[in-house]
Amino acid sequence: MVGAGQLAFINSMVSALYASEADLLAACRRRDLRAFEQLYQEHGMRLKSVAYHILGNRQDAEDAVQETFLKFYRAIAGFAGSSSVGTWLCRIVINVCYDMARKRRRDGSEPGNAIEDQCAHRDQVALRVTLEDALRRIHMRQRMVFLLFEVEGLRHSEIASILDIPEGTSRAWLFEAKKELKRLLKEVRQ
Amino acid sequence: MIFQCSDLERALRSPELMPDARAHAEHCEHCREELRLWNEMSRIAPQLHQEWESPSLWPRIRADLEAAAPARMPVPFWQWCIATAALVAVAFALTLPWNSRTPQSREFLTERALHDVQQAEAAYVRSIEKLAALAAPRLEQSPTPLAAAYREKLVVLDSAIGDLKANVAGNEYNVYLQNQLASLYREKQKTLQEWLENAKSN
Repeated sequence: MVGAGQLAFINSMVSALYASEADLLAACRRRDLRAFEQLYQEHGMRLKSVAYHILGNRQDAEDAVQETFLKFYRAIAGFAGSSSVGTWLCRIVINVCYDMARKRRRDGSEPGNAIEDQCAHRDQVALRVTLEDALRRIHMRQRMVFLLFEVEGLRHSEIASILDIPEGTSRAWLFEAKKELKRLLKEVRQ
Repeated sequence: MIFQCSDLERALRSPELMPDARAHAEHCEHCREELRLWNEMSRIAPQLHQEWESPSLWPRIRADLEAAAPARMPVPFWQWCIATAALVAVAFALTLPWNSRTPQSREFLTERALHDVQQAEAAYVRSIEKLAALAAPRLEQSPTPLAAAYREKLVVLDSAIGDLKANVAGNEYNVYLQNQLASLYREKQKTLQEWLENAKSN
């Protein structure tokens, strides 16, 4: 059976109209929706995952990705191309998620962990669940770096570009995140 | 370097100290557990990546993008007026020469008519050649500027007639070209007659 990730990869290969990022960007600037679809195929899954870890449930994560593409569409003319499109999308989705989280707090509708996610945890490996829970308890900036580096596999240079911080800071925050997570994991085990 | 438990945190920050940390951990249960937990986090973390299918997400995004497409600004009335005036002027400029040429150029001679034209032309050419033969002796010998001007004009006319005949040969049925050729012959005839009249009066 083909998983969602594999399916996205296959779709991206099949529908990759624009071979280079420059061509893809040029098509986006022409408002060619096929270019935006290609971007969605290539980055949508990661964006959803990042959004999920910030917002805590899939529905909000999808809303955040939708909002991300709309913001990207509106701002494409001003994109200088100093970073990759993927990095830029990641930066947008993080900002969108922060805005959504802030709005939820203001509205008093913060759901924390959605019920569907709590149920799903029951079947997960203990350490994974514990790590996921611990991740929600550490500082947001540490969580972001851990998420982007360890979970999503981005490089420190990319994370630095996304979060607009020096690369050394990204490394330092990752260390702090892992140190804090290790402490929380040990607490749970004891 | 003698690695101690207190060096572990520094080793976790600096990958170059890790071999020493691992060597130390072989004999230190506390550091072994710390290292195991540290590495376990990196091993487990990729599993936190969330993947799920969202078949309705791209259609939703697409609808958003289509709705966000920049709306075309309404064109002010004065711009419409200028555009219309420009269009009329261009159309007028284009149709003027076209009207004077196209209908003729699109009229094609029939075989019979072509034969008549060719016969008339041949007779006309012969007449002009006789006229030229009459004019030639004095025209070629006269050193006056007037004679030089007539000679020059006839050379130009002969050259134009030659070019046009070449065109007519490729498109014999074209009335426009035939008319042009006839008018050149007329001009040559008129030029020769003028010269002969001038020569007679002098």
